Amino acid sequence: MTNMKNKPKNKAVLLKRQWALHMILWAGLVYLLIFAYIPMVGIIIAFKEYKLSSGVMGFFTSRWVGLKWFKEFFASPLSGMYIRNTIVLSALKLLVCFPVPILFALMLNEVRSGKFKKLVQTASYLPHFISWIIVSGLCFNMFSSVNGVVNELLLKGGLIDTPLSILYDGKQYWGLAVGTEMWKEMGWNAIIYIAAISGIDSTLYEAAEIDGASRLQRIRYVTLPSLKDIIVIMFILSLGGLVNGNLDQAMMLGNTINRDYSEIINSYVLKIGMANFRFDYAAAVGLMQSLISVALVFSTNALSRKATGAAIY
Amino acid sequence: MSDLSVALPKTIHADTVRKKRRRIRTREDWVMDTVVTIVMIIVIIMTVYPFYYITIQAFNNGMDSTLGGVYFYPRRPTLDNFITLLSDASWGHALLVSIARTVLGTFLGVLVTSAVAYALSFENILFRGIYYKIYIFTMYFGGGIIPFYAVIRTLGLINTFWVYVIPGMLGVYYMLILVNFFQSIPKSLYESAWLDGAGDISVFFRIALPLSKASLATVALFYAVGQWNSWMDSVYYVTKPELRPMAYMMMQIVNKFASAEAVTNAQTMGYAASAMESTTTSLQMAAMVTGVVPILMVYPFLQKYFVKGVMIGSVKG
Repeated sequence: MTNMKNKPKNKAVLLKRQWALHMILWAGLVYLLIFAYIPMVGIIIAFKEYKLSSGVMGFFTSRWVGLKWFKEFFASPLSGMYIRNTIVLSALKLLVCFPVPILFALMLNEVRSGKFKKLVQTASYLPHFISWIIVSGLCFNMFSSVNGVVNELLLKGGLIDTPLSILYDGKQYWGLAVGTEMWKEMGWNAIIYIAAISGIDSTLYEAAEIDGASRLQRIRYVTLPSLKDIIVIMFILSLGGLVNGNLDQAMMLGNTINRDYSEIINSYVLKIGMANFRFDYAAAVGLMQSLISVALVFSTNALSRKATGAAIY
Repeated sequence: MSDLSVALPKTIHADTVRKKRRRIRTREDWVMDTVVTIVMIIVIIMTVYPFYYITIQAFNNGMDSTLGGVYFYPRRPTLDNFITLLSDASWGHALLVSIARTVLGTFLGVLVTSAVAYALSFENILFRGIYYKIYIFTMYFGGGIIPFYAVIRTLGLINTFWVYVIPGMLGVYYMLILVNFFQSIPKSLYESAWLDGAGDISVFFRIALPLSKASLATVALFYAVGQWNSWMDSVYYVTKPELRPMAYMMMQIVNKFASAEAVTNAQTMGYAASAMESTTTSLQMAAMVTGVVPILMVYPFLQKYFVKGVMIGSVKG
């Protein structure tokens, strides 16, 4: 029994009262040990020669090979391409997919009709709940060079003479990847900003209005400064995820034709590991990827602490 | 649209708008309202139209669709695509697998996650800080898919139904959302049960859970959507055809369509290819609609809850 009122000082007594709760927490710990901490320890196979048949024990018993796999990755002619794709795609997504939800939230805040606002919001969340399989299915239908709506529209509008091959042209993949990512997550990522905007003290707006600020000026001088901290925090948080890349997207929208532009480190890890069974080499490449993303998150965090005073760690 | 609602003083909403803004609409107001309304309408069209498009295609005759021009309503309405799809034994079975993993995965996920969250929500529990750190650490660092695969294999989960359910039972992020909620329940509500001699477990089932229906619904939605959409686990952990979920089948049919277009693109095949593709296409449309509809039916009603959930998670995380 966990009575709050008469707190016993004796830990043993407290522990005895809380035994049921501790049992639950220990069950959770065992679960995490198996599904999170043991795989974490398993990263050491990046420095070993590992055969899957040796199972979990093989993490410890297999032979050390040092940096062999890392050297192999950097020596391979394609590694530069995967690194480039990962970095360029992350940078582009950061540049486009990060500010757009903020802009969307600001604009949504200017919608006066409550019902219309609700309608836009509900519609904008929909793609977030849809899997990348469906998204890519939609892409194949909307962008197809045979009967695809987008190509038909462009052709009829006289903007192009021959249908664009958006899905099978490496050069168009980056645009496709950024566009679909934005389409899918814009509404969802705006939730936090919409909530933050609705929490801004309304007297600030009234004061600005009395001072003669126009609506744009109120956005510029009241709304945006109030959002500053949350924007910085969301930026740091989204950095790690973005550098990791979107595996589902790379798997579904990437194909043999646009591969030079669509293959990212994570999808490469999956292919060499799960399809070619080179688990040790794949683990090494995967580890490198996580190190880059962790380093980036912490350095941005440190930079932001200095520049704006907002930080999460 | 917003202009219209201001012009209609009869509705309650227009009244509140009027009370809020009694000043005259300036030119800036006019320009901004117009721009914002147009942008929002574009957002709605761009989000909703692709789904509308696949729906009308799914209800249109497959051969007719190849002629193109079906943009606003089915030209030759038919249920054939759905009948063909669901009468195919493997699709029918895949639907059952999807439903089973969604129901079971959501139930176990919510149960396990809420139990742990409940235990962590007591501020006086011993070692609370240490427990918290061990749980949260897994949000930031992971071993990656390769060592994880080795663990799954050693546990003997490969090629079993349980590989869909067991590894995803405890989402630490969802746990944080629920901890936050349980903490907001006044402890005085627990006390009468304690006085009756109830233990922590029965308080959890009798008081904490019934009071948290909204938060549980949010977390259940997240788990359910994750289960329903999941396909990679089926690709890598399972080879038995009878264990394939809908999402996997959909992945295959989308890929099939993709390669068909790649072929047409390379122009090695002529009209024959596009005629063959038509049945695949309309079937694919029907499959996608089947995949989207359950989500579409659930999430709008849970909107106000998950918005709150996301906020709590972000503030804490």
